[in-house]
Amino acid sequence: MNPKPISPVMSTCYLELRDLTISFATPRGRFTAVKNVNLTIPRGQIVSLIGHSGCGKSTILNAIGGLVRPTAGEVILGGVKIDAPGPDRGIVFQHYSLLPWLSVYENIFEVVDSVMTGKTKQEKVELVERFLRMVGLWEHRDKKPRQISGGMKQRVAVARAFAIHPQVLLLDEPFGALDALTKTSLQDELINLWSMDNQTETVVLVTHDIEEAILLSDKICVMTNGPEATIGEVIEVPIPRPRNRRELVHHPEYAKIHDRLLYLLMEAFAVRKRAAA
Amino acid sequence: MKEQAVINSLRSSVEHKTTVASWFNQFKPAAVSTLYAIGGLLLLTLFWGLLSGLVGKELPGPLATLKVFWQLVSDPFYDNGPNDKGIAIQLGSSLARVFAGFALGSLVAIPIGVLMGAEPVCKRMFYPLVQLLRPVSPLAWFPLGLAVFKHAGEATIFVIFITSLWPTVINTAFGVASVPEDHKIVGRAFGFSRGRRLRKILIPYSLPHILTGLRLSMGVAWLVIVAGEMLSGGIGIGFFVWDSWNALSLERVMSAILLIGAIGLLLDRGFDLLARRVSYES
Repeated sequence: MNPKPISPVMSTCYLELRDLTISFATPRGRFTAVKNVNLTIPRGQIVSLIGHSGCGKSTILNAIGGLVRPTAGEVILGGVKIDAPGPDRGIVFQHYSLLPWLSVYENIFEVVDSVMTGKTKQEKVELVERFLRMVGLWEHRDKKPRQISGGMKQRVAVARAFAIHPQVLLLDEPFGALDALTKTSLQDELINLWSMDNQTETVVLVTHDIEEAILLSDKICVMTNGPEATIGEVIEVPIPRPRNRRELVHHPEYAKIHDRLLYLLMEAFAVRKRAAA
Repeated sequence: MKEQAVINSLRSSVEHKTTVASWFNQFKPAAVSTLYAIGGLLLLTLFWGLLSGLVGKELPGPLATLKVFWQLVSDPFYDNGPNDKGIAIQLGSSLARVFAGFALGSLVAIPIGVLMGAEPVCKRMFYPLVQLLRPVSPLAWFPLGLAVFKHAGEATIFVIFITSLWPTVINTAFGVASVPEDHKIVGRAFGFSRGRRLRKILIPYSLPHILTGLRLSMGVAWLVIVAGEMLSGGIGIGFFVWDSWNALSLERVMSAILLIGAIGLLLDRGFDLLARRVSYES
């Protein structure tokens, strides 16, 4: 498990959000979720979006995924403007989003079969098996999602997203619903997959977990509160990889970043209590 | 050694008893409900007997009916020319028409329902039409069927076809339209083709709804066939009822009512079993 070498060529701007504004029509008029978001992500980085719930983190992720169209501004991936979902991006949803009538195997196979049109049936079958084994679910391949635990479901969702070899992996609060131990092992597995899989290089992670953000990211974007949320501050995490969970907390940078994040989330961009009526 | 063997055999017999007991317990609720149902049936028969005793000859009593019923079912396959056939032949002919009309109707109704559920444009175009035609008694279509097919048999199938459309169309459309965003987003995010979306997301999700529609359609079709065959004549359980009335045999009419009810119940249960088999648990 080696850290990814980031060559100078690769570290140039790869994924770019330019003045991204997204608003929705609601019964009570237009609601602007995020406004004027600017962000550049070099190839090969893991970048987190952190903020309070309802600050539009997921909206930004969905815009990168092509599931939500920007009202203004644009998302540019590898020099190309994004306006629809594509096989170059894999998404792991907050609520797993597995199809309950398909087995674990079929849930991954259907997606591989849909996206990887250039491969033969045999290659697809091998690919699904490889990723199921990587997340330790090969023995459970014939089970339906309802027969496996939440952590296993999220493993399937992660394997599904990695299996299509996306250039960018989008994770929407992937471990938010899991218990602390399961969460820990899934975070490690995610880093393993990311380090092994040489095709998926760039990861955008939405989270509200400070420790998770520091452990996983090269860069943490702290969101201001919505509506009209934007990126309030970008914090670099200069801690070398591979990062060891237990050693990490003793790293001098860790405390600094942790403290800064806490300050931003709890004070600077804290949820303002409504003035008592 | 010997003691051990005795203990073992004792233990196994105890275990055997407990499995029999658990087996019995498993069926206990069903047995109890059956007993209640028999009780209700007895009560109704009693009331029926009393009523027929009061009315006299106008209404045949349970015993007289049972005698005729037994005659009917003990020789169900006889065939004495066009107007005198066994009850099984009559019922078989009705069932064949119901299944033919139902199958054709479902073949049309399911795709229309899927279209209406998946494409808002189709829903806006066809839903008012469905609302307009659904309240029409299917028998009103009978003359139209006669005019087109020239034969009463085909016209009856046509009536069943029309009958079978509406519940299936409406339930299928509802099922397809109510696919949760959580499932649809999988298809969008991973670029599912139209066919894959249909086969792997829309249809599996709506299958229980489609089956509910089919079950309702079958129920109505079985209701309508009796009336349809009273109009079409010739053969079938509806014709049999009407023919029995003309022959002034209310015993035969009552027997036919019992048989129609029993077959309707069986059809409904069959669909219920099927629905349980395909329904998934999320």
